[in-house]
Amino acid sequence: MKLYKIFFVLLSIGLLTSCENELEVNPTDNIPGELAFGSEANISGILVGAYEEAGQQATYGGRLQLMTNLLGATNESFWRGTFIQPREAFTKQLLVDNAFVDGVWSNAYETINQANLVIDNIATVTSSVEEKNRIEGEAKFLRALNYFDLVRNFGAPYVSGQANTQAGVPLRLTGIVDYSTRSEIARSTVDQVYAQVINDATDAYNLLPESNTFYADRYAAQALLARVYFQQGNYPAARDAAHDVLENSGHSLTATYAEAFNNDVDSDEDIFTFQVTSQTGTNQLVNHYASELDGGRGGDVRIEQAYLDLFTDPNDQRGNFTYINPANSIRLTLKYTNQFGNLIIFRIGEMHLIRAESNFRAGTTLGLPPLTEINALRNRSSAAPLLLLTLNSFALERKLELAFEQGFILHDAKRTQTSIGSLAWNANALVFPIPQTEMDTNPLMVQNAGYTN
Amino acid sequence: MKTKLNLLLIILVTLLSQAAISQKKTITGNVTDDAGMPLPGVNVLLKGTTTGTQTDFDGNYSISAATGDVLVFSFLGQKTVQKTVDAATVINVVMLEDASQLDEIVVVGYGTQSKRNLTDNISKLTSSDISEVPNPNLQNALVAKAAGVQVTQTNGKVEGGINIRVRGAASVSGGTQPLYVLDGIPLIDPTGDIGAIGNGAQTNPLLTLSSNEIESIDILKDASSAAIYGARGANGVVLITTKRGKQGKAQFSFNLSQGFSEPTNVRKWLNTEQYIELFTEAAINGLGQVDGIDEAEATFDFLAGDTDWRTREVDTDWSKEAFQDGYQTDADFSVSGADAKTSYFFSGAYNNTTGIIRDNSLERANARTNVSHQFSDKFKAGMNLSFSRTEIDRIANDNAFATPLQAIAQSPLSPARLPDGSPNPGTLYGNFLLDAENAFFKTIIRRTVGKVFGEYTFMPGLKLNSDFSYDLFAQTEDNFRGSKALFQSTNGEAFASDLNSESYTYSNYATFDKSFNERHNFNAVVGTEFIKYDRRVTSVTSQQFPSDDLSTVSGGAEVTAGTGVQLQSTFLSYFARATYDLDGKYLFKASVRRDGSSRFGENQRFGTFPAFSAGWILSDETFLEDFEALSFLKLRGSWGQLGNADIGGDYPSLFLFSGVSYNQRPGLAPVQPGNNNLTWETSTQTDIGIDFGFLNGALSGEIDYYQKNTEDLLFSVPLIPSSGAASINQNIGTLESHGFEFVLNSKNITTEDFSWSSNFNISNNIIELASLPNNNADIVNGLNINRVGESVAAFYLREYAGVDPDNGDALYFLNTENPDGSLNKGTTNNVNQAQRIVAGKPFPEIIAGLTNTLLYKDFDLTFTFQGEWGASIYNNGGRFQSVNGDFYDNQSLDQLNRWQQPGDITNIPQARLFGGNGSAQSTRFLAKADFVRLRNLSLGYSLPSQVIEKMKISKLRVYATAINLLTFTNYPFEDPEARSDVEGQNSPGQTFYSAPPAKTISIGVNVNF
Repeated sequence: MKLYKIFFVLLSIGLLTSCENELEVNPTDNIPGELAFGSEANISGILVGAYEEAGQQATYGGRLQLMTNLLGATNESFWRGTFIQPREAFTKQLLVDNAFVDGVWSNAYETINQANLVIDNIATVTSSVEEKNRIEGEAKFLRALNYFDLVRNFGAPYVSGQANTQAGVPLRLTGIVDYSTRSEIARSTVDQVYAQVINDATDAYNLLPESNTFYADRYAAQALLARVYFQQGNYPAARDAAHDVLENSGHSLTATYAEAFNNDVDSDEDIFTFQVTSQTGTNQLVNHYASELDGGRGGDVRIEQAYLDLFTDPNDQRGNFTYINPANSIRLTLKYTNQFGNLIIFRIGEMHLIRAESNFRAGTTLGLPPLTEINALRNRSSAAPLLLLTLNSFALERKLELAFEQGFILHDAKRTQTSIGSLAWNANALVFPIPQTEMDTNPLMVQNAGYTN
Repeated sequence: MKTKLNLLLIILVTLLSQAAISQKKTITGNVTDDAGMPLPGVNVLLKGTTTGTQTDFDGNYSISAATGDVLVFSFLGQKTVQKTVDAATVINVVMLEDASQLDEIVVVGYGTQSKRNLTDNISKLTSSDISEVPNPNLQNALVAKAAGVQVTQTNGKVEGGINIRVRGAASVSGGTQPLYVLDGIPLIDPTGDIGAIGNGAQTNPLLTLSSNEIESIDILKDASSAAIYGARGANGVVLITTKRGKQGKAQFSFNLSQGFSEPTNVRKWLNTEQYIELFTEAAINGLGQVDGIDEAEATFDFLAGDTDWRTREVDTDWSKEAFQDGYQTDADFSVSGADAKTSYFFSGAYNNTTGIIRDNSLERANARTNVSHQFSDKFKAGMNLSFSRTEIDRIANDNAFATPLQAIAQSPLSPARLPDGSPNPGTLYGNFLLDAENAFFKTIIRRTVGKVFGEYTFMPGLKLNSDFSYDLFAQTEDNFRGSKALFQSTNGEAFASDLNSESYTYSNYATFDKSFNERHNFNAVVGTEFIKYDRRVTSVTSQQFPSDDLSTVSGGAEVTAGTGVQLQSTFLSYFARATYDLDGKYLFKASVRRDGSSRFGENQRFGTFPAFSAGWILSDETFLEDFEALSFLKLRGSWGQLGNADIGGDYPSLFLFSGVSYNQRPGLAPVQPGNNNLTWETSTQTDIGIDFGFLNGALSGEIDYYQKNTEDLLFSVPLIPSSGAASINQNIGTLESHGFEFVLNSKNITTEDFSWSSNFNISNNIIELASLPNNNADIVNGLNINRVGESVAAFYLREYAGVDPDNGDALYFLNTENPDGSLNKGTTNNVNQAQRIVAGKPFPEIIAGLTNTLLYKDFDLTFTFQGEWGASIYNNGGRFQSVNGDFYDNQSLDQLNRWQQPGDITNIPQARLFGGNGSAQSTRFLAKADFVRLRNLSLGYSLPSQVIEKMKISKLRVYATAINLLTFTNYPFEDPEARSDVEGQNSPGQTFYSAPPAKTISIGVNVNF
């Protein structure tokens, strides 16, 4: 009898004293935020995390490209998919609660915040100046890339040769770790955002090494600058930047048009891509553009006869770069047939087009005369050379070369002030709405014209 | 043999008692009920001691007592009798049936209490309430049975999650489910908050339990009762007690039933003729006469494949493909009994349910043994042990193309299968039949729950209990998608996962129970409890299979993904409770629990949760003695504070980074903003109630009014998206709810051959947000809003204004604010100009249940009606299903009433392919979900005892029972109880291709011997 008593008493006392420290439980699968900025390895890890973030499906994983392609699409392709959000882009009837638009916004800002965290803590990187520069440069590249895509999609078009005081997007340049206070912020002007993008990209260019495996190197930053200047109509600067990439990056056109696409490992032509493998990353362009057999949904975007009719030369490999999905007899692009293929952000083809058009508009021949350069590009695809160039030739050539890639038609229309279907280049419907979620939480935010909340 | 054993027992008992106390004489006697039948298992106790015995199978007892001692005879369902020992050595007792239910024993957590003396609000359900409900989910038996307790299965999948809301939810972003306590083990949802496993839809955490092993379910609804569970009691506590052996000879019971199921409702869709008509018209309206006809015919060609739509060759009813005939087999047995020292219960159960949705099924086997033994008059010990195996064939969640119900979106022009019988791959959306035939998702849960317990009596009235429990929930998942499965492009993919969820509960508590001067009755419980939950998950995915015949991960050439997650949380608690009553009339109770948990922020680790209550049994007062009709009247009131520790996973307070991989290079990414002050939600609850009984219990009931205010409300506060994070967990805001509950039990007719009794309950719940973070700023989550003064998660939608009769445009109310603060009810056809308004709430305001039991000779009939009023459901699939031919999804039949020419008055806009005419999220797709349902109907016939006695059995009953037999509602979509299984708690009340519940009819037989 006594034994029982002692047993119980001991158990009870033992329990009371030994358990309080059991309340301290830390996760095994995560690290506490306080430790995350403590080491150089962690800072470089956060940078890799920022690439991963940017490569997610909402933005560069494919939906950003898809939505801008569709917003610029008219009769040359057709959204036949079942998702409502891309259909709203295709029919130019975006609603403020479009979840894909919301995803672009929030995902881009997540990447920006992570890039900011890297930049804020760059002093922790002490192993070498080169390493510090590389990390800072890559972070600034990612920040610039995201701000550029935010401002040109969520702000009214940049108009060359005048002050662009129209609302751009909020500029957040320091990372946020403490969310207990609200971080309300107003929109900066389009000019301010472009200035920040150019600043960051230029810094990145100066900080980054000549080559940097599949991460951004200095020519990725230069290619971004070329695209930014080009969008601004600053053709001399665009020309110079593209020229630097073409001359010095070591990248060149692939032998055939087909070789430029669906690559597991970056091709010679790729200046910068987001990486996809069977284990990491996602290629949403394949999801929406490819047949089921290739990992898609059967072809949400159908290629129409009007697109094929753009090609005057039947031998143009670019015009023949399509196939019929046997499951549903629908014509699809061959640009997206490898579900684990990398997502191209900058390739040499675009640089040639930028340099040629910029030379043409500036009346210069830096690198190559424009006609020679365009014909070289055409020659790669077995297309007959052009005999003479007009401004329209460039618009068409960009469509032939860059279709279904990154919303080039939409942004070219805004740059060259040409209509998209019946919509004027500066129509409200060609600008994304500020997402409902931002409007619901940020009292300083102002909605774009044509949308109300 | 039997008599010898009895003799031995009597001798043993006698010896033991004589060893303990000397100078006594032996009293013997016989106990019978008022009909003269002997009562076995009656407790006979020497008052004021723990010395006692029980009557044997023939109602005889023997006990040693001294003259002047008082013998107390008690037996469940009979009025307790006290006899003072005088010169006689034989004391025979006749026990009278206790007409009122008020002496029912309820389980209160770390003890039991008689319902008569209860100052709490507890709803009790016994095994007879929950057996024979033909559904594998135990909680379905609770529907409509307890006032203020809303039980809803998410949808008609066999493993579907279950929502129980006790007196409305006390939380917005925190957990809203009650704490389940199984034989003293507080359970968690073992699969909760683990993204790596499952298919995105919740499963029922109690799926592994069989109703045949449940003795009772006690639902602690108010603060006074639930406060003993402190930081986890805010949403109510559901105490599940398993069966144990009852005094008497061994009883063997056996039950077998077979049921058939079909959906409660199947919606009507366009047939081929109607589809072609509507879409030709839509295409012409949307794209012009020529382009429109081109577009429509090209699409019809595509949809029809190799068949000829012009001759209407194919007319597929896709909902027929999605549903199947359901079947259910239930078999269970139990053996139980007890003698004075040892009580035992063994049971086994088998359930095999084929769901109403194609490829959805469940098979479960359970076994349990509960044994306890009184080693001496001071020490008792025992063990409950159960194991079960549940195998589920799951289908994709509601938001996946592969889920069968999404087939209703397919065009009737498309054949479901090709001429060779294989699924047609050329459909508008991926054909789920490709998955049905080439993929599987098998989940197997093995669960072992065990508890050892000891009870040591130090002295009469003081005992110590020590319980140690262990719960192992081991789940494996095997998912294989062969090369021909839907969207399969990697030559097959296999996924396997392994979850081991363990919990340890160690509780020690002392109970002191004493009466002083026969007037003051005092009971106190003091204890501690330590609980640890440990979960470990691994999963792996592989691709590139040489053959579809290989379906395990190792068959794949490339391993493409894997996870390993460990989750842990702990609770350390101290608790105390005291009840005191004076003369059995004036009742008082106080309790307190101090809880600490690893889940709380380091600045807020411990919380204390007190409760007080009091009751007054007026009917025992002399001034009410003259009211003959009034047999019982009690007033009671309680106040207490409870916590809700279910605040978002195991580590909700920490600022966390997680490992990520980019091109196989390691990276780090922030995954959760931190909050060191994060803590439990505190819910303060007040309850006032009356219990009454009239005409000796023929009419009895309860009326309650409660107020339930939650402070430090947990919010997953949406952050500004441009700040780079989505949301943060914060304790800000208050929620107020209140309501009435009314319960009425009546014995309408009681004659020898016929009796009819009814139980009716009705309750309402008004819930309102009183304050919110950021100066009461609205919190909008998709289609739901949390706004001060409105219900939690109210619908926030543009207001559909019908159709412009002139041009067929869909119209929306502007609802912009006028200068005077009123809303501008002008209309617009530009969706982006229309403001959203609060348009309804996802939770009912009133719920009710009515159960009638009729007995006529050897027949019995029980039926239960269930009703819910005040909730709305948003059909998130409406913008595909019912949008006047906006896209090629098959449309609901009502879309034929579309506007066609100027002057048409209709609610369906002009059909315009790709026109977005009325397709925006709006109140167009919101509907009231009021319903009344014949939830349960059971008709039985027991063979007369003269007949079965010859067969040496004590009971043989055949029965037919039905669930969800009739539904009365104006709800236009699938079913008011079909809701999306992927929308989280922040956006409740949505349906999205969700399966209606099953209507099941089964027949069965019970045998006892």
